[in-house]
Amino acid sequence: MKLSPAQIWRIRESQYRLVITVCESCGKKSAFKRSVCPFCGSGNVKHMESEGLGRVLEVTKVLYRWASSDERPPSLVAVVELDEGVKVVGEIVGVGTDEEVKEGTRVEAVLRRYASDDPYGVIYYGIKFKPLKTA
Amino acid sequence: MGAYIVGGAVAKVDRHFDRGYRDLAYEVTKECSGCLDVDYIVVSSALPELTAHQVDLGTHIAQWLGRRVPVIRVESGETSGLAAVDLAASLVASGRGRKVLVLGVEKVTDYPTYTANYFYSLMLDYEFEVLRGVSPPAYAALAMKELMKDGVRRECFSSWAVRMHENAASIPHAMLRFKISYDSFKDSQVLAEPLTLHDSFALGDGAAAVVVSNSPDPKASSVEILFSAAEVELPAYSRERISDLNASSKLLKLSLERYGLDLRRVAVELHDSYTPYPIAILRSLGYLDSECNLSELEYLNVSGGLKARGHPIGATGIYQVYEVFKLLTDKLGGKTSPSDYGLVHSMSGPDNVSRVLILRR
Repeated sequence: MKLSPAQIWRIRESQYRLVITVCESCGKKSAFKRSVCPFCGSGNVKHMESEGLGRVLEVTKVLYRWASSDERPPSLVAVVELDEGVKVVGEIVGVGTDEEVKEGTRVEAVLRRYASDDPYGVIYYGIKFKPLKTA
Repeated sequence: MGAYIVGGAVAKVDRHFDRGYRDLAYEVTKECSGCLDVDYIVVSSALPELTAHQVDLGTHIAQWLGRRVPVIRVESGETSGLAAVDLAASLVASGRGRKVLVLGVEKVTDYPTYTANYFYSLMLDYEFEVLRGVSPPAYAALAMKELMKDGVRRECFSSWAVRMHENAASIPHAMLRFKISYDSFKDSQVLAEPLTLHDSFALGDGAAAVVVSNSPDPKASSVEILFSAAEVELPAYSRERISDLNASSKLLKLSLERYGLDLRRVAVELHDSYTPYPIAILRSLGYLDSECNLSELEYLNVSGGLKARGHPIGATGIYQVYEVFKLLTDKLGGKTSPSDYGLVHSMSGPDNVSRVLILRR
């Protein structure tokens, strides 16, 4: 077994619910549920759950092969700034053929498959982003 | 008590299908006078658990070389080599060792390229970056797009690669000893738009050795390890911009100012895994104008850099140190450093950690 269920379970709040860290010392917010603020090193932190909405700051279409094509087809990878003011990286999925993802595109977090132990093993799920449909 | 580099040797960076870790280690120490007359060995290697199913590689290499001296393996991602030299300098400065063999060795071509690419991607945070689909060239492409928004033209990144290939053409141990043209970028495979294969380092196997001693060698050329420093940066996604390589810029600026150095006259090996990174660093140091003219930086990456000499991940730092040692004490690519000082820079991922070493003849 290549994947560990325990490993993904331990980080479930960051991967499934987009929990972010707020430093009570320096006031900065950071991605993921952390015990220590990455900006100032303070352990005086609290956590909150992101609403899962944000905008694309920068995006690239990735064709780099770093697994078999079945596992990792071409993808869009973006830096997303959540509405709470926190930056995260992740894949953009669910893009329609008539849609273009670019700087400023509004996105929402969705739960999608990350990886699996093919064919019968553990499946990892986590947050990706998809363009927000405008009315 | 100081620390001095008193010798070394390198193997050609290449796809050595017929050689494993221990073969490459033997080959390079055989070519190196004094490499085995040591009382301590530091092995630098980043990926042996993944590429060779081997834990405690240092001990197994020491056994293979018939050495019974203490051995330790250092791993710090792409900066493993400079971390190993830093440790060796501390060992001799503290009196723990008299002469230390620092041996960088890496095997990365035993698997299909996409598997090697995955191993390399683990330089990033597995849980918070790799699992989320973020790879090193994705970051490099995002950094490139930021720089292009600043007005850096595509040709600027291409000019780095063209120059590195020109340099590597005269380096016997370089992996890609041929020139490329600006036109070749048009047909180059895209890794992550707009970054292409020609903007990326060459992944190869390699082994390199230097001997770090507590005193200069009266019978051979020596250089002093004058300064060694490292700094950890924020994860790339938490920075203002991906292309803010603040740890690298800060350490290099500090080095240049402290010793009054000018990159136009100093031998320097800069970590250039992807073309946007050296461009970002040189711009931050004020050495690159809008035309990206590199002609005044004559002693910059004489080796061809990671781009063309090649990047055997955990061994690369030792190659860089050996190359600057040669520029200071002898010749490399037909050149000798006009300055008594030389710089080596290494970083892992998009500046997750940066290290700088200053050598003086």
